[in-house]
Amino acid sequence: MNFAQLPLNFASEELLLTNQRALYWERERILVLSDLHLGKAAHFRKNGIAVPAQVTHNDLLRLQRLLKHYPTERLLIVGDLIHAGKNSEIELLHEFVQQFPSTRFVLIKGNHDRIPDTLLQKIGIHELHESLTVGPLRFSHEPGVQTGLYTVCGHLHPGVRLKLPDRSSISLPCFAVTHKTLILPAFSHFTGLHTRFGTKDTEYFAFTENAIFPFQQKIL
Amino acid sequence: MDTKGNRPFGFQQKTWQKYGKGYSGMVVAPTGFGKTFSVFLGVLIDFMNHPYRYGSGLKLVWITPLRSLAKDLSKAMQNAIDEIGLDWTVEVRNGDTDVKVRQKQTRQLPDVLLVTPESLHLLLAQKRRDQIFKSLQCVVADEWHELLGSKRGVMTELALAYLKYLRPQLQIWGITATIGNLDEAADVLLPTVTKKITVTARERKKTEIVTLFPDEVELLPWAGHLGSRLVDKVVPVILKSRSTLLFTNTRSQSENWYQLLLEAHPDFAGQIALHHSSIDAHLRQWIEDALSSGTLKAVIATSSLDLGVDFKPVDTVIQVGSSKGVARFIQRAGRSGHSPFETSRIYFVPTHSLELIEIAALKEAVKTRTVEKRDPMVMTFDVMVQFLVTITLGGGFDAPNMFRIITGCHAFSMLTEEEWNWCLTFITVGGSIGKNYEEFHKVVINEENRYVVEKRRIAMIHRMNMGVIVSDAMMRVKFISGGYIGMIEEYFISKLKTGDRFILSGRVLELVRTKEMTAYVRLSSGRAITPSWLGGRLPLSSNLSRFLREKLAQGLDPAGRDPELKFLHPLFVRQVQHSAIPGQDEFLIEKIRTREGHHVFMYPFEGRLVHEIMASLLAYRISLLYPSSFSIAMNDYGFELFSDTEIPLEQAQFEQLLTRENLMEDVTASINATEMAKKKFRDIAVISGLVIQNLPGVQRNNKSLQASSGIIFKVFEEYDPQNLLLRQAYSEVFNQQLEEPRLTAAFDRIAKSRIVYKETFQFTPLSFPIKVDSLRQSLSSEDLAKRIEKLQKSYFKPNKKK
Repeated sequence: MNFAQLPLNFASEELLLTNQRALYWERERILVLSDLHLGKAAHFRKNGIAVPAQVTHNDLLRLQRLLKHYPTERLLIVGDLIHAGKNSEIELLHEFVQQFPSTRFVLIKGNHDRIPDTLLQKIGIHELHESLTVGPLRFSHEPGVQTGLYTVCGHLHPGVRLKLPDRSSISLPCFAVTHKTLILPAFSHFTGLHTRFGTKDTEYFAFTENAIFPFQQKIL
Repeated sequence: MDTKGNRPFGFQQKTWQKYGKGYSGMVVAPTGFGKTFSVFLGVLIDFMNHPYRYGSGLKLVWITPLRSLAKDLSKAMQNAIDEIGLDWTVEVRNGDTDVKVRQKQTRQLPDVLLVTPESLHLLLAQKRRDQIFKSLQCVVADEWHELLGSKRGVMTELALAYLKYLRPQLQIWGITATIGNLDEAADVLLPTVTKKITVTARERKKTEIVTLFPDEVELLPWAGHLGSRLVDKVVPVILKSRSTLLFTNTRSQSENWYQLLLEAHPDFAGQIALHHSSIDAHLRQWIEDALSSGTLKAVIATSSLDLGVDFKPVDTVIQVGSSKGVARFIQRAGRSGHSPFETSRIYFVPTHSLELIEIAALKEAVKTRTVEKRDPMVMTFDVMVQFLVTITLGGGFDAPNMFRIITGCHAFSMLTEEEWNWCLTFITVGGSIGKNYEEFHKVVINEENRYVVEKRRIAMIHRMNMGVIVSDAMMRVKFISGGYIGMIEEYFISKLKTGDRFILSGRVLELVRTKEMTAYVRLSSGRAITPSWLGGRLPLSSNLSRFLREKLAQGLDPAGRDPELKFLHPLFVRQVQHSAIPGQDEFLIEKIRTREGHHVFMYPFEGRLVHEIMASLLAYRISLLYPSSFSIAMNDYGFELFSDTEIPLEQAQFEQLLTRENLMEDVTASINATEMAKKKFRDIAVISGLVIQNLPGVQRNNKSLQASSGIIFKVFEEYDPQNLLLRQAYSEVFNQQLEEPRLTAAFDRIAKSRIVYKETFQFTPLSFPIKVDSLRQSLSSEDLAKRIEKLQKSYFKPNKKK
């Protein structure tokens, strides 16, 4: 795992965009991520679709490294922590939370987080919100609502599509900034990419295993 | 049959005789000679001779690849039965069959049942399957050549093997048209049967091929545009015929020709119709009915009408552009002149002058009956795991027995115990790696040690997704004012912007909006895009390419008799003046220097797909000698490597570049196999049940089970690289996409050929069409990171402070 980060000035705050699918706000010691979709692989297996469980373990391993790398008082998950219902992979979170006693796990609820709040609390979520404002930043799951506030959200699984000269193309996950909205990439590896969105003012920050860079979408 | 005044053909009588003696076998006969009645009457005769051998219920299962064939076939069979005076019933069971009829059939099956491979598998998934097949005497695989070579063929193999296990005395017969590997076709159909015979009809269908020549030879042919100039020669052919089928190779070509014919002869309005796979199914059915009743003057069709019921009024077939294969050409020609002794007449319309050589080659191949092979697919694990689950639904299986059944199939005769165990693990615990699989629920082993499915929902999902035909995501095209036009691939629509115009179903349409899986359009006019489908470009078959090289070599032979070659004389002269015409034991390389840069053309005549691989390979090998970058282009005859700097290559070096040594290693290094495998994995994921296309009901959490095959491919690549389904995707790339056997054979041939190396300053008749081909691509052998780095210049800008 090669950490790469890129500072972004958003609402006059310095945010660090990482190629590890998360964002770090140093002044507040907050780590933000979105769309962990925990339990997705298990949900597939429950329905007879053979997806390896390692994909989930790897997501959690990446989160573990992030939390060890960036001093974190609060971990904000801006929605879709849980993919669908209760299963063994969700229990993994409980153990995980214990490893970081000095970090508060905060969930901004997303459309997938349909399990009861009590259950979420039981597996270690300290705080639950529909949306949350910290300083000049508002955190929510979906972009949408026009509050006039600088918003950090997820939900869309943003990606960019690069056309290569040989007519093929590759897609990379990205952070996307349009005016006052910052959309986070999906944290889970077991997710697709949404590459057809944004306006001509949207700025993209795409990343690979080793690097993160600003990207200009040419074809829209 | 005698009562109708028909005398049976020799092959029919022989089949009846052999069937009566308990043989299984394969009947090889051309269309229109009553091949159906060879086996079918054989069964009836045997029943009349030995009625006590037959139990009550289903006696004969008849597998047809096409649903549309089943209806007419069952009518003809029922008529024959009624005429003989038997009380047998014939019924059809497939996706089109009414639910009520299906339910009735489950209670009481007819004596003869016509099915598709898919509906046969659905019967095997029935709880009562042992009851259903208890009196089964015979299974027939009709149009076996159509099934062979596809995953549907493997489905048929598996079903036959299972039925043979249920009914050891079962007689299995195949009916096929002529193909290049008949012996293999028989072995695939009857791998374990010893009492078998192949009955071949001596009767031959006469085929007359008429070439429509342009007024003059184009010395520098340009693919595609000549055809439209010939429309004035096509109109009289249609006018003097009763009913015409005009075949094109692609849907876009068919749309174009529909417009061209209407412009050239406006009276055709209302008398001609367009038939391809994007046309609404109801409309297609209407067109087919109108063809049968003779009310349409002409139908412009793609391969959508290659097969299927006979249209009696059709007396003329026109083929636009080369059919690229002998089998397809014969099949299309056979759509006219149906009765056994009528001559099938097919007109050929070249789309560029070089295609005239192809028609000369086609004529030769038709004359010598040299038809392509259909290579059976093997080791298709996706089909096998689907079949295993299918069998678990209808009462389960025990592993040792099932292993014997599966390895008894041609497709899985090489299956190792290790692979077998992987497949069992896949359906029971969801894979062989790691732990944490306890939540996997699909197939369980019950207390009797049988593999069964216990969950209703799993069973339901499996039934709804059985089959191996995976189609592209299709979007409905509808008028905003209401009214349905047809279906079109999602990826085509996704490239369009609102307001863009395109042609579908012979109409110019303007895209208004897309919502969910529907594109709303309004009628428009003016210039519009014709959807083009890359898959529509059929590559030249290797069989035909051999004849093509032969004909080309004879190009200037004064003793030659082919009118096509004579017509092309001025073109051949020019080719010789500036370069050379490769003889059969020669390999031509042209190096052409123009103001734009340096072109190297090579002519293996192996078809577009093989050329694409060869060009990548050559570019890679050259780049090992000199740092270089190329753009490549190809057609069915050859390929071009273009660079702006001169690559100093000598004749001797070309021999080195074209070596057979390290062939596949170099090919693998020169292409993006992962990207190709990812595409192949799409079908595999659906067939093996990793991607679910149809879910029961409108359940709220349906969406939570959807993941694209691309995501699953990525996950497997990363966490389970030894997954057999993933490995299968790669071997499909090597066998089908890279055509490894054909590629190897081509390099063997080139190694034995003399290299003819010509330098010139002008494009030659052979090189020009390649140069103007629009499908250019550039090649670069750098890895992804480097490519991105390179791209950064054009794509990325410095981070602006906000």
